Amino acid sequence: MQPFIHIDVANSEEVIPLLDARSRPLAGGTDMLPLMKEGIVAPERLINIKRAGDLRYIRADEDGLHIGALTTLDELDRHPDVRRDYTTLAQAAAEAASPQLRNMATLGGNLLQQARCWYYRGDFHCWLKGGELCHARDGRNEYHAIFDQSPCVAVYPSDPPAALMALEANLRIVGPQGARLVPVAEFLQPPSAERRTLHTLAPNELIVEVHVPKGPSGSVYLKAMDRATWAYALASVAVAANIRDGRAHNVRIVLGAVSNRPIRALAAEELVEGQLITPELARRAGETALAAARALEHNHYKLPLTRNLVAQALRDIMAG
Amino acid sequence: MPKVVKTTINVEGRVSEQFAIVEGAELPPWGEHEELGIVGYPAPRIDGAARVSGEARYTYDVQLPGMVYGRLVRAKQASAKITRIDVRKAKAVRGVVDVMTYENVPDIEMSGRQTRLLSDDVRFAGQTIAVVVAVDPYVAADAAALIEVEYAERPLVADPEAALAADAVKVQPDKPNNLLNGKPRIKERGDVAAGFAAADEIAAVTVRTPTALHNAFETHGCVAHWEGDQLTIYESTQHTFGVREFAAKKLELPMSKVRAVSTFMGGGFGAKFPGSAYTLIAATTAKRLRRPVHLMYDREGENLETGNRGQTLQQVKIGARRDGTLTAIEYSGISEGGAAMGWLPMLEGPASMMYRCPNFRSETSGVLTNLGPMAAFRAPGFVEGMVGLEAAMDELAHKLGMDPLELRRKNIPDTDQLEEKPFSSLPLDECYTRGAAAIGWERRSQPGSQSDGRYRRGIGMASQIWWGGGGPPAYAEMLLNSDGTATVMTGTQDLGTGTRTILAQVAAEELGLPLEQVNVTVGDTLQGPFGPASGGSVTTGSMTPAVRSAANDLRNNLCDIVAQMRDIPQNEIEIRGGMIYRRDQELASVREIMRKLGDVMLQGTGSRGPNPDDVSVVTSGAQFAEVEVDTVTGLVRVLKIVAAHDSGRIMNPQTFNSQIYGGIIQGMGLALTEQRIVDTERGAVLNPNLEFYKLPTIADVPQIENILIDIPDTKANSTGAKGAGEPGIIPTAAAIANAVADALGVRVGTLPITPPRVLEALDAQ
Amino acid sequence: MIEHGPHKTAITLEVNGLPQFVDVEPRRTLLDTLRIDLGLTGAKLVCNMGNCGACTVLVDGVAVYSCLTLAVECEGKAITTIEGLAQDGVLHPLQQAFVQHDALQCGFCTPGQVLAAHALLARNPQPTEAEVVAGMAGNLCRCGAYRGIIEAVLSAAQQTGPQQ
Ligand SMILES: Cc1cc2nc3c(=O)[nH]c(=O)nc-3n(C[C@H](O)[C@H](O)[C@H](O)COP(=O)(O)OP(=O)(O)OC[C@H]3O[C@@H](n4cnc5c(N)ncnc54)[C@H](O)[C@@H]3O)c2cc1C
Ligand code: SF4
Ligand code: FES
Ligand code: FES
Repeated sequence: MQPFIHIDVANSEEVIPLLDARSRPLAGGTDMLPLMKEGIVAPERLINIKRAGDLRYIRADEDGLHIGALTTLDELDRHPDVRRDYTTLAQAAAEAASPQLRNMATLGGNLLQQARCWYYRGDFHCWLKGGELCHARDGRNEYHAIFDQSPCVAVYPSDPPAALMALEANLRIVGPQGARLVPVAEFLQPPSAERRTLHTLAPNELIVEVHVPKGPSGSVYLKAMDRATWAYALASVAVAANIRDGRAHNVRIVLGAVSNRPIRALAAEELVEGQLITPELARRAGETALAAARALEHNHYKLPLTRNLVAQALRDIMAG
Repeated sequence: MPKVVKTTINVEGRVSEQFAIVEGAELPPWGEHEELGIVGYPAPRIDGAARVSGEARYTYDVQLPGMVYGRLVRAKQASAKITRIDVRKAKAVRGVVDVMTYENVPDIEMSGRQTRLLSDDVRFAGQTIAVVVAVDPYVAADAAALIEVEYAERPLVADPEAALAADAVKVQPDKPNNLLNGKPRIKERGDVAAGFAAADEIAAVTVRTPTALHNAFETHGCVAHWEGDQLTIYESTQHTFGVREFAAKKLELPMSKVRAVSTFMGGGFGAKFPGSAYTLIAATTAKRLRRPVHLMYDREGENLETGNRGQTLQQVKIGARRDGTLTAIEYSGISEGGAAMGWLPMLEGPASMMYRCPNFRSETSGVLTNLGPMAAFRAPGFVEGMVGLEAAMDELAHKLGMDPLELRRKNIPDTDQLEEKPFSSLPLDECYTRGAAAIGWERRSQPGSQSDGRYRRGIGMASQIWWGGGGPPAYAEMLLNSDGTATVMTGTQDLGTGTRTILAQVAAEELGLPLEQVNVTVGDTLQGPFGPASGGSVTTGSMTPAVRSAANDLRNNLCDIVAQMRDIPQNEIEIRGGMIYRRDQELASVREIMRKLGDVMLQGTGSRGPNPDDVSVVTSGAQFAEVEVDTVTGLVRVLKIVAAHDSGRIMNPQTFNSQIYGGIIQGMGLALTEQRIVDTERGAVLNPNLEFYKLPTIADVPQIENILIDIPDTKANSTGAKGAGEPGIIPTAAAIANAVADALGVRVGTLPITPPRVLEALDAQ
Repeated sequence: MIEHGPHKTAITLEVNGLPQFVDVEPRRTLLDTLRIDLGLTGAKLVCNMGNCGACTVLVDGVAVYSCLTLAVECEGKAITTIEGLAQDGVLHPLQQAFVQHDALQCGFCTPGQVLAAHALLARNPQPTEAEVVAGMAGNLCRCGAYRGIIEAVLSAAQQTGPQQ
């Protein structure tokens, strides 16, 4: 790890003037420190925002849910309002990482987690790191994408953002020019030749709040892992819907860990919209959601897996 | 009077004849119904408080005045010649005191894995190519990053099956076919062709097991410290005395000038035997620098260089008559050895000795690749080989329309078919019966029939056989202090197995002291006589008789003194619970007697006697697994494991349970989650970490019921105890794989049985 | 705004109730500071990447991985390490329960396990077995002492009884 200057700030306002390409905010540090230890990033200054008390809150009101960027995954998981009205988000937070990591990891940092691709985290100067070649594409790719969205086939690794997308959440981002409000669905984008990250935050910007509009009547997050706990998703699904008269309305289905970003399964949503979701319809929705997916050499299993999860999530949401 | 005896020792299937010195007369073994008061009862670890309080100092924790920190620098290429290595920038970093490469490291010839301490010949990615020593680990890391290396790349092969192709790249220039010893190992008895001809049914399976990484929580490494011409090596090792011998030999030092210490040890699982370059690099560097050198692997280096259980490909064919009597077994298997392989694990062990079968043939090979070298890993060969054998047995039972357990029961061996001797004890039938009752074997269905809904359940079992009787040489000393407390001193080590505790129990039992009055010193070559390597489950079978013999010697000395002091016949004196009696009459406490003698120490010495010639000493057992497969996610959950193992006399049910549980959980890892993942084109290991190398978590752990068989093996040695370190892991993966096959109705032949493999099997169904 | 580094700077940490003065670079992890600079080697370095839990300590009562925490971030916070649990040479009830239930083998993961359990019981004094499993999920044990760990935590919870 390269040496750096560490600056403690007391509130979010102090942060913005300090940010630039060579200065990074430090929140829980659970991704920042591993990246720095591996030499993947080497900021000259770390702006420790953890003492910025104005960024750590959960407020539920008429307008929905306001979550300060420094809120930890543990706080999200345990918050009674989140659990009751935004279940998918609480579940996604609860299923992420481990208890200690959830104590440390903030929602803001979670949105910005970099790819967990083993080439990226290893000794390979791959495309996402600024190199020429994606090693995973022709290498080992069992954990990689089944929807091809960029030269990189890494999957977006964080759990809560898929839930946030199903809840149509927005981010409040502050930069030198002031604040902007952007849907999570727009904020997370596949990397491009010029921007080798899985998100669109500018170096001089800070995420200050996540705003979740008033929740639907039901939502669920399902995550498949290759051991019982503490693993990144093999695939995940967040579903939110209003169940009225036994039918599903405003259905939103988001697939996680299958692409550079969480993906809305629009065709599947359309298929079930306003319907009574039978097991058979749930199964078809799964198939529809995966119609455009293409497996790489080592991840064929993700097609049945993600189909199964979509169907299961729809069945679960109908069951209430 | 010391006596020299010759005896046969079996460690992990490698049989050797050994001379050993035996002190005094061999004690009659504790009988099967001997009334013991301490041995055989649960007792918390005597070093438990040290381990839970952070007081225990492991090698990694050793800190000495002036100590500097070494960092091992790894090759990034898998097959290359280093053409240039430039350390000038690294050396210029403030705080760096030394940098070693093949250009300046002392020229010491090595055997086994490395031929030189450091080499320009890179045969796998992760091979240590330099060592940076600095005043702080961060400085060492900064400097390591500044070492410039140029490589002349060579072609590589990183897949054992590809390495067998006729035109494959050669991993070692003198091994044209990439085979250890240039050819397969063939073992044969009877006539397999005739055996298969006599069979009514034949089952054949192909299975693969993954490369498993030990991932002991403490990595390999040592701290070397010179005081004048006296070298002390703190090392995380399974053989303290072996470290001393290795260092003395390679550094050409008198053994009396070398001390090896391993007081607390953070796990080994077979990979931590002496003989690695780091010990010598640390020792020579410490001498040159006149400062203690701390040289430990980091997690990645640990996983790349210090050993693994090599992946296997196995084909097993078994024939049987209609009544289930086996007529022939044919076994073939390859085991990957990486870039250097010292020996071939006994993959064929289970097939050759688990079940009675007159006609047997095996062909096994060790295959070299440009990957990190193999090392022993808890029952090497047997864990893997049992997966193949027991898969074939289940398939055979299916073909015969027979209950799989019945098939096994029918073929319990009556002799050790390798040594052609009877077993000292083989209570397999009891293990089967009690295990089956505990799991509810009768609930087991026909394969595939429990297949409704999201979750499918299945039950499977597998058997276990292994050695573990131990043998000489193993020695112990005991001291009785003037306050009535006693110290056992021996150079064995406690890897976390509970050795200290059972040695204290044995000493207390034999001497007649309460357990609290006995302390045990292990893991220091200056504080006790030779103890064997802790591997092959030999520690208990070797050390407990030695300690019993030392305690007995001490007891005789004490009785002798009491007899003289009180002027009574020695044979009327008894010691129980710290009190001395003449027959039933209480005389005094041991403490009172000792105090009268002033500050003296009474001594006792003891040794492990020879092994019996006429019987084969083994451990045996069975495990039963119940699993539940989630057909939505493909995740297999193990609901319950029932274990029933014969380890002779159970010295301490509590630590015995822990050993068995630990074996089961590691076996479950091999069955379901653990595998080294390699990019074979690039020769790169992609998961040398604990993120993508998936150990079981607490949430993966099933209910475990360990049935205590507890039949003292009175022919094995004077305590009747045998090892438990390895038996517990041997059948687990095999039993789980069979349970999953029962649940799914199809066999996933490649371990670990991950969600991807389950989902692909379901998709194909 | 407080600035440290990039070179060594003097900081004060409160470790197990006592002030400790160290000179550290901002990049130094809390784990290395405890182990190397303060000689508190109870917390173990196993993965250094947040994958195992052996380095778990309590910061203001919250269980964190000290390998992913910077020492400079901890100024003014109360740090509890395994060395701080025993009082006057008497093991903490949790530590006693770990010994009694043989919740360890090599013991290398144990300090982290005990502190994770400590944090779990502070939040949930009477956990169910499922809650123990969930709460202890951030601490791997290669020796496989998990069953003993579950029993130890449950029994320690019982001993301390429901708290107000
Ligand atoms: C072993 C392990 C397992 C994990 N498993 C999972 C899992 O299963 N599911 C899952 O979802 N996650 C998982 N994680 C990831 C973890 O959730 C993220 O690392 C964490 O959420 C990041 O939050 P942080 O506060 O620690 O971010 P930091 O590491 O502090 O920061 C991450 C990045 O975000 C930037 N940043 C942080 N906050 C802000 C802000 N407010 N505004 C602008 N920039 C900011 C930082 O500059 C940095 O670039 C795992 C992590 C580890 C180490
Ligand atoms: S998938 Fe992305 S992160 Fe992984 S190697 Fe390819 S470019 Fe790099
Ligand atoms: S050492 Fe910190 S989590 Fe492993
Ligand atoms: S006791 Fe050895 S790692 Fe847990």
